[in-house]
Amino acid sequence: MGSMPAPDGLLALEPGRVVGLTGSVGAGMTRLGLSLMAEASQRGPVAFVDVRGWLCPLSAWESNIEPDRLAVVRCPDSGRWPKVVAALLEGIPAVYAEVPTGVSDALLRRLGALARNRRSSLLLRPLRGSLPSGLTHLRLEGRGIEWEGTGDGHGRLRSRRLLVEASGKATGGIPRLIEIEGGEYGADAMRVVPGLAAAPVGVTTAAG
Amino acid sequence: MWFPDWPLRLLESPPPPDEPYQAVGSDNRVAAVNPAAATAGVALGMSRREAEGVCPTVTTIVRDLGAEAVAFEEVARAVEDLVPRIELAEPGLLFVPVTGAVRYYGGEEPLVERLCKEVERVAGPGAHLGLAAGPFAARMAADHATDAPYIVDDDAAFVESLDLSTVAPDDLVDTFRWLGISTLGELAHLPRPAVLSRFGPEGLTAHRLASGEDRAAMTRPIPDDLAVEERFSPPLESLEQAAFVARALSVRLIEELARYGAMPHRVEVEGESSTGVVRNRVWRSADPFGDTELAERVRWQLGSWVEGEGIVGGLVRLRLAPADLSDEGRQLALHEDAVALAEAQRSLLRAQSLAGPDAVLASQPQGGRDPADQVLWRRWGEEASPARDTTAPWPGRLPGPAPALVPTQPPALDVEWEAGTPTRVRLGSRWEPILSWAGPWRRMGKWWEGEGHCDRYQLVTSVGAFLVEVAADGVRLTGVYD
Repeated sequence: MGSMPAPDGLLALEPGRVVGLTGSVGAGMTRLGLSLMAEASQRGPVAFVDVRGWLCPLSAWESNIEPDRLAVVRCPDSGRWPKVVAALLEGIPAVYAEVPTGVSDALLRRLGALARNRRSSLLLRPLRGSLPSGLTHLRLEGRGIEWEGTGDGHGRLRSRRLLVEASGKATGGIPRLIEIEGGEYGADAMRVVPGLAAAPVGVTTAAG
Repeated sequence: MWFPDWPLRLLESPPPPDEPYQAVGSDNRVAAVNPAAATAGVALGMSRREAEGVCPTVTTIVRDLGAEAVAFEEVARAVEDLVPRIELAEPGLLFVPVTGAVRYYGGEEPLVERLCKEVERVAGPGAHLGLAAGPFAARMAADHATDAPYIVDDDAAFVESLDLSTVAPDDLVDTFRWLGISTLGELAHLPRPAVLSRFGPEGLTAHRLASGEDRAAMTRPIPDDLAVEERFSPPLESLEQAAFVARALSVRLIEELARYGAMPHRVEVEGESSTGVVRNRVWRSADPFGDTELAERVRWQLGSWVEGEGIVGGLVRLRLAPADLSDEGRQLALHEDAVALAEAQRSLLRAQSLAGPDAVLASQPQGGRDPADQVLWRRWGEEASPARDTTAPWPGRLPGPAPALVPTQPPALDVEWEAGTPTRVRLGSRWEPILSWAGPWRRMGKWWEGEGHCDRYQLVTSVGAFLVEVAADGVRLTGVYD
């Protein structure tokens, strides 16, 4: 995916910023997070903190992260999780961390401060619940997902279209709905479909 | 100038001359012996056990390098009063550049005489003084020196007469001897390409030293101003603080240099006290310094300054400047940033120490039919292992993008079917209608082991797409296209 052309650089990782990824399992946020890290992986290793041990690195490779640039850290223990993430933030430019239940808001804020201090990008994907307010620079919430390529027992999954609500300081405080298209094998640039980009949120329901 | 028994001088009372004493380093090898032990057969480099076997009455002390450095500081200062800019190699061994001093004192003899007198006043007798044109020859000359200084007139001739074991590791020396080569001169007469092709880099280093070439020539320009510096407010007073700073600063310097693929043979340590006194000292090493070795040297130096009153009132500034750079450092690919890579490695190591080595993983592609089969995991930092062929045909392999999440223990899933068509799937407490689906892709089990076959389906709902496996015992969720 290389770089991600997006309106006003919305969907790009900035050093020292925290991005929150929320949405139900299946809403497409894991692959979105991985493709956000692809650019940082050109410069050095990136880390994925895997709480359940479920990550399939195939999807990361398809999102243009080289196999030897991805470190997967399995950490099911919520007591050790903050220390592990903190250790990773010390030296790794982009860290995707699934947040297990039982991590306090205060700890998350401290990790956010550490990311700011070390100029690392931190993507937080809570497995349950939400993130404390004010922590994230950009919050992406999956509102809907549509898949193309399958029919009634024929075809195969080919491409997907995400409807994502972006909010936080990165959008100037005004929540916006954006549509992101991922091509086959994630090989195409995820692009933000224009037109919807400025749509106000509130009345729109998920597309799916 | 070399004190072969320096580690033994730390004893509160000097050892009686007729009782054997030895000092062993952290590697459990003998680093110093007194004459009595030497006559009993204890030699430098022996293992402790071996030495105690040769001479059962020997008294063994364990080296304390920090304390040795503190004690040696006094000698270094005395020499420095005569000749500026001396270089320390390790406690007990120092190099004195004499080119200017020889002129100043009117010849080698008077200078050596002055040095001996001065050193004897401070440290007592026992210094071995070797004088030669290059540092390697000088070090060897000190080996040859007894109480009288050993002055080498012709470096090349002197080096030629030396024994092989001075430059090469033991196994290499054995090979050379077997080939009939026992002195450096004989080695130097061999053609260098032949030595290199037969013995590799070790042979080349030995050949270079034997030919009188002390250091590798610098082939690339390296910026001059690579020094790193740190100021402290309030001044550092305790050795712990200083050691901590020494470590951080050494790492910074080595990383800075790694960017140019260079590593220092010599580092100048400069400290400033709160009273404005500036001290500097050069440390050198035959092998280029790594960050650990350098940090150790800086700590010794700071320790001897802080404790030896060389720095009064605390340290306000510390500066490390590299010299004698060799480009034996790691080569990096274009666009790679050495500092960033080293930092990333460090934090992954730290994560490994926190979460366990099996928890920090790297992955590589391999052939397989299921998404989980197509990934070969290994611990981060381990060598990649041979993987199954990815280009071979894998019948029944799932097409399309891979699911991002693959449960390790596939949970059971409720799916409703109507005439062989999936219609609804239960996710949590809700039933979701299936909008479209694809499949099945059949995977044959190992029937000879009693495994049944199963069918894989891609199910698309409004909340996401899922990969399920339908077998005789029910439906399981094997992947989420998240």
